[in-house]
Amino acid sequence: MAEVPGQEVNAEQGVFQGLTIVDVSGSVATSYAAKLFADYGALVINLEPAHGFATRKLSPLLANGDSAMHAYLNTNKHSVVATQSCLMDEPTMGQADLVIYDPESLSPAGGLSGAETNTCAISWYGLSGPYNGMRGSDATIQALSGLMRGIGQPEGPPMIPPGFQAQIIGGLSAFNGALGHLLAQRMGNRCAPFQLDASILEANMCFTDLAAINAYLGNPLPPRMGINRFPPTYPLGIWPCKDGWLGVTNLTPGQWKAFCKLLELEHFADIELFQSSISRLESADILEPEILAALSNHSAEDLFYRGQAMRIPLARVPTMEELFEVDQYRSRQAFSQVQAAGESFAAPSTPFRLFATPPHFGGPVAELGAHNRIWNSGHE
Amino acid sequence: MNKPLEGLRIVDLTMGWAGPLATRSLADMGAQVIKVESCERFDWWRSWEATEAWIADDGAEKSPQYLSVNRNKLNVTLDLEHPRGRELLLQLVARADALVENYSGGVLPKLKLDYAHLIETNPQIVMVSMPAFGSTGPWSEFRAYGSTVEHSSGLPHLVGQPDQPPTMQHVAFGDAIGGLNGTAAILTALWHKQRTGQGQFVDLSQVECLLPLAAQGVLHQSVHGETPRRYGNDHPEHAPYGVYPCQGDDAWVVIQVTTARQWEAMQTLIPELAGFGDLASRLQQRENLNATIAQWTAQHSSEAAMHLLQSKDITAAKLNNGEDLLHEPQLKDRQYLQWLERDYVGLQPNASAPFRTEAAPIPIESPAPTLGQHNHFVLEDILQLSESEIAELAELGIIGTKPRLPKTQSP
Repeated sequence: MAEVPGQEVNAEQGVFQGLTIVDVSGSVATSYAAKLFADYGALVINLEPAHGFATRKLSPLLANGDSAMHAYLNTNKHSVVATQSCLMDEPTMGQADLVIYDPESLSPAGGLSGAETNTCAISWYGLSGPYNGMRGSDATIQALSGLMRGIGQPEGPPMIPPGFQAQIIGGLSAFNGALGHLLAQRMGNRCAPFQLDASILEANMCFTDLAAINAYLGNPLPPRMGINRFPPTYPLGIWPCKDGWLGVTNLTPGQWKAFCKLLELEHFADIELFQSSISRLESADILEPEILAALSNHSAEDLFYRGQAMRIPLARVPTMEELFEVDQYRSRQAFSQVQAAGESFAAPSTPFRLFATPPHFGGPVAELGAHNRIWNSGHE
Repeated sequence: MNKPLEGLRIVDLTMGWAGPLATRSLADMGAQVIKVESCERFDWWRSWEATEAWIADDGAEKSPQYLSVNRNKLNVTLDLEHPRGRELLLQLVARADALVENYSGGVLPKLKLDYAHLIETNPQIVMVSMPAFGSTGPWSEFRAYGSTVEHSSGLPHLVGQPDQPPTMQHVAFGDAIGGLNGTAAILTALWHKQRTGQGQFVDLSQVECLLPLAAQGVLHQSVHGETPRRYGNDHPEHAPYGVYPCQGDDAWVVIQVTTARQWEAMQTLIPELAGFGDLASRLQQRENLNATIAQWTAQHSSEAAMHLLQSKDITAAKLNNGEDLLHEPQLKDRQYLQWLERDYVGLQPNASAPFRTEAAPIPIESPAPTLGQHNHFVLEDILQLSESEIAELAELGIIGTKPRLPKTQSP
């Protein structure tokens, strides 16, 4: 990592050292919110049921059947198995600066009523409203938020984004809310404990709230336009080259001219109609065949570097395999090693880096109940 | 009662979507966020195709995308290429807790406003830099938008049908995620500063912000040494699972049956499903299964289908579009959209912060400011300039309230 001039490195590692977070639910969303605290040095305790958090069963699985996804979400955390019939009687709860939970997973006996600590509920739809209590998933969030409606062929069906994206976004957003309010307490702006209500649906509206606003203004988005085609930008998409895929975005007249020059399509460069991205989108049927033909003569790698040298925002679109070899990501340690069940594998590192107080890069994952002895006989 | 982040001052040099969204969250929680633009180098999110006609029509004040990510902020214009403008920015930095920027690599060093220069003025400042690929490495100065960030993350290789190209999810997917991570980065550094009094440099790569969203694919590749398959709307372990057509034009419902109990409930709703057997059998007959379900969903509106399925505890949701979001009962009940009057555009909906501590969302205090709206407040009240000094700045074009076309445009 490059040196930052004048940066004094703090010997103390861990921004959140001294902060204790208890996750009593272990959904992907609660785990991710807690992970960001753990990555920067908070003591995060997973208070798990006897059979462990549900994330312990998520694919992909390691050779012994343990979950790699659980491992990614839970590096450098403690695992304690709950032993009390009432959640508030658990010894760990008395230590918590913040309790993170998913209301779906709280039984009445295990509820947080009477808790005199900060809490952060991360639920699919929020703690109130007509959908409170409805079943949720990453896909229902992407459906209701409007994101899914824009993905796929015009004739449909729209495509479901894979994985746990909605929950990761929900967890990240809840982390922001919780940390903002913890900071408020430290600054003296808040005294009483807070009960934060973080909605995964509302967090995922970050992609589409503008679509609602534009609809109100009488400028609704057009219907789904097809794979990799989105208003108001053209050319935009992922196109095949001689070897691999190139990501293309042209927004400004200058970028369009440079892109035409790069692909030797100069006859399009100065046409007045094509100086606006919306007009280009309306003319996509004319432009696209020529762009595709030109791209097929070049390697994606070559176009990427030459394009970027011309200040055109082009991208290589790496496969999962290629991702680990991208020199930019290698140089920044974008992936780090997680150790679980005797295996070591690569996982995404924390996306933001505090230079003076860096995060953990990867790390070990606790087996279920690994810290029972410490927490159930009194924290040392 | 104080607002959570009241007392914090953030200098905001961000433009576009990601950076302003990062600082918007801080402004929502009560931090004083001072957005700095110049009349020539104004936020390109106002328009990337600015013309004289657009300026004459006050287009700079009407951009919905600009208005949506800049509410609750103050706005000051300063020409940072002019020595006096630069000096005034440094005076603001001296009185601030943090500065956030997402300029193209090389711009701030050229202006002598990079971290090394800022800490000469304020050694405790937190500086958050959030370029597309991060501030280090061979691509640190490469140009990107939210779409480029999505392309570069590898995520498109996990989305869509196996026989289709790698599939994007959004026109600017990387922006929103970069913005949320930007908030996280600033708050983390401010927490450290609150504890220790020390500021620092924070580096955020917007592409790396997308990697957690691709985690399952990344882990599959790393653990199994093979490229993960794309399944389209199918699920390798569950059926029925997919997006089904409903009554009406482009109307759909997503249905995910992942437990035996849900499958039993499906059969009570759709008796024709009875012959499809156990999970292994259903996975084998997926096409027929989906067709049978589609016959049922096509008889219902997406809203009715969702509620019928949810009443049986089956995971389902209608697919909304932008217009639908305005009427979405859950969002309406939680007052997710807040309505504020704004000069030039009138009454506008604004999206609430996605977290709250009260029954109502965090109130949005003010709409996005107009260009240079708070010049006097910032220069007079915060920087203690006199009226005549401010008038001189206006005369020199260092401050202003109307955009001008730059000599060379470089969003």
